[in-house]
Amino acid sequence: MGAGSLIMLFICGVAFAGGGIALSWVLAKSSPNTAKGEAYECGIPSTGTSWIQFNVGYYLFALIFLVFDVELVFMYPWAVVVKEVGMVALVEILIFMFILFMGLVYAWKKGALKWM
Amino acid sequence: MEWGDIIYKSILVVCVFSVSLLVAMYSTYAERKIAAFLQDRLGPNRAGPFGILQPVADGVKMFMKEEIIPDVSNKALFIIGPSVAMFTACMTGVVIPWGTELVIGGKHYPLQVTDVNIGILYLFGVVSIGVYGIMIGGWASNNKYSLLGAIRASSQMISYELAMGLSIVALIMMTGTLSVREIAAQQVGWHWNVLYQPFGCLLFMICAFAETNRAPFDLPECETELVGGYHTEYSSMKLGFYLFAEYINMFISSAVIATLYFGGYNMPFIGRWVHDPNWMAILGTVFFFCKIFFFIFLFMWVRWTLPRFRYDQLMNLGWKILIPLALLHVAATGVVMWLTGQIH
Amino acid sequence: MGVSELIFYILAATIIGNAVLAVTSRKIFRSAIYLLFSLIGIAGLYFYMNYEFIAAVQVVVYVGGIVVLIIFSIFLTHEAGNDMKKPSLLRAILAGLASLGAMALVLWTLQMECFMPSDAAAVEPSVNNIGRQMLSTTEHGYLLPFEVVSILLLAAMIGCIVIAIKTRQKA
Repeated sequence: MGAGSLIMLFICGVAFAGGGIALSWVLAKSSPNTAKGEAYECGIPSTGTSWIQFNVGYYLFALIFLVFDVELVFMYPWAVVVKEVGMVALVEILIFMFILFMGLVYAWKKGALKWM
Repeated sequence: MEWGDIIYKSILVVCVFSVSLLVAMYSTYAERKIAAFLQDRLGPNRAGPFGILQPVADGVKMFMKEEIIPDVSNKALFIIGPSVAMFTACMTGVVIPWGTELVIGGKHYPLQVTDVNIGILYLFGVVSIGVYGIMIGGWASNNKYSLLGAIRASSQMISYELAMGLSIVALIMMTGTLSVREIAAQQVGWHWNVLYQPFGCLLFMICAFAETNRAPFDLPECETELVGGYHTEYSSMKLGFYLFAEYINMFISSAVIATLYFGGYNMPFIGRWVHDPNWMAILGTVFFFCKIFFFIFLFMWVRWTLPRFRYDQLMNLGWKILIPLALLHVAATGVVMWLTGQIH
Repeated sequence: MGVSELIFYILAATIIGNAVLAVTSRKIFRSAIYLLFSLIGIAGLYFYMNYEFIAAVQVVVYVGGIVVLIIFSIFLTHEAGNDMKKPSLLRAILAGLASLGAMALVLWTLQMECFMPSDAAAVEPSVNNIGRQMLSTTEHGYLLPFEVVSILLLAAMIGCIVIAIKTRQKA
């Protein structure tokens, strides 16, 4: 039942996204020329490619994000059963969170969270 | 599964789909009217009475405009980008309970497309795929502004995803289920979660603003620095898809906020006057939509009131304030639940 | 062939097709996108088998986390837009042989393992059961691994910060 509806929605979504683009492709007139085909920068011809090397800061944040993302995934099943399991679960997660909080503090102190 | 069920589900899917699109369409109109109101202007008033045909006119314009795909771009990915953005925006409405259930001829018809029992994680997953629409489009444009906008957007979205997830964890500790339907059903009458978790609600709402790239978190398309941000090179319907996806996301976020924290379709005191379950269901849906419209209004109100953050402020807010606070909030929720005897 | 089987084959074709495209594409960004679609297909497969929680984890961690990281590391390279060099023939052959070998190993292990049908009722893979197993302190519980995971994650985080900070200072 659930999967069937999801598939139905999937088809609706693809049909709408594809249909919209196809329709505008049919309706819109097109007269391409070289000036239109250039990437916009400020009006004068752009220099160099835009696929350049990026600041390592973004990568650093993505790495820390991944660690916390995995932590978060572990916390969901815990949160669902915490009421049933009781005190033990609470102590367990406090230890778990404390260790990861130390990680965040370490990242902070090392300046990894500083944007530059 | 019977044919009746299949037909019913199909109708419901199409309804949810078209309502999302309709609300998104008129959100663009509402945004311009509200902006005009807040800035003491008139706003759109030419197309139809009070300008209510403006979204239709905009739609037609989007379809008819010339489509420009830059020669330097990566063509296939350039088309996939907005399609993914639109598609993920449409996929979220499926787990939201729009109302209780209709009883027609002894049969129960729930007003929810599907009750995945990990509903919240489903929402969370689709939100995390949403990054790719922007990232693919921005990279494929081969434009410096687009790429900067795209990488800003993705970095911002992953940062706020964490605080959002943690605020949901605190909510789940209380509800003990991941099913969105059950969470809505638990908030009967006045037992809205916001009253028990006001701080979690605030955290969630801030993160929802950041996830939808709305002001004051609209750095990815900040005009003064990045021209149009990730959609600088886009034109015609593909641009329309990006803008439209933003409004659908706003609608769905409002619906999620209303469901998780503000009681969903529940309406206090209604049980005194209305007893027929069908009328209850219909009124519940109406009330739910009132809540949604209020939050959409809030999104717009904030946009036209607050100035934009600087990027380092945005990252600091996400990592140095919201994430530690959200972690503490989870711990504090646990301790309070222990003190009040909910955890033995 | 029933509808259910049809869905399975569509999912399998999506996964394998995108996986092949991911390793054969010369454009590194496109490879990442094919990998993304392949991973989404795997999540679909879990969903099809009713392992809903695992499907969600697949999406949140792999699709929403690891591929973002891969794309960010592509942004770090100098020549993200150019075609990659064609690998030498010898390398291609060796890589092909290695992957065939790995596949053979997996198939062989599956053939060797005799799966015993059990009378015991299957444990429902619901979030509730997963949570209870994870926190249980009995000998069948996973409490110790759960806590050790946090230390592992901490170690991973410290490692990546140390490496990345060094790069940042050099840059």
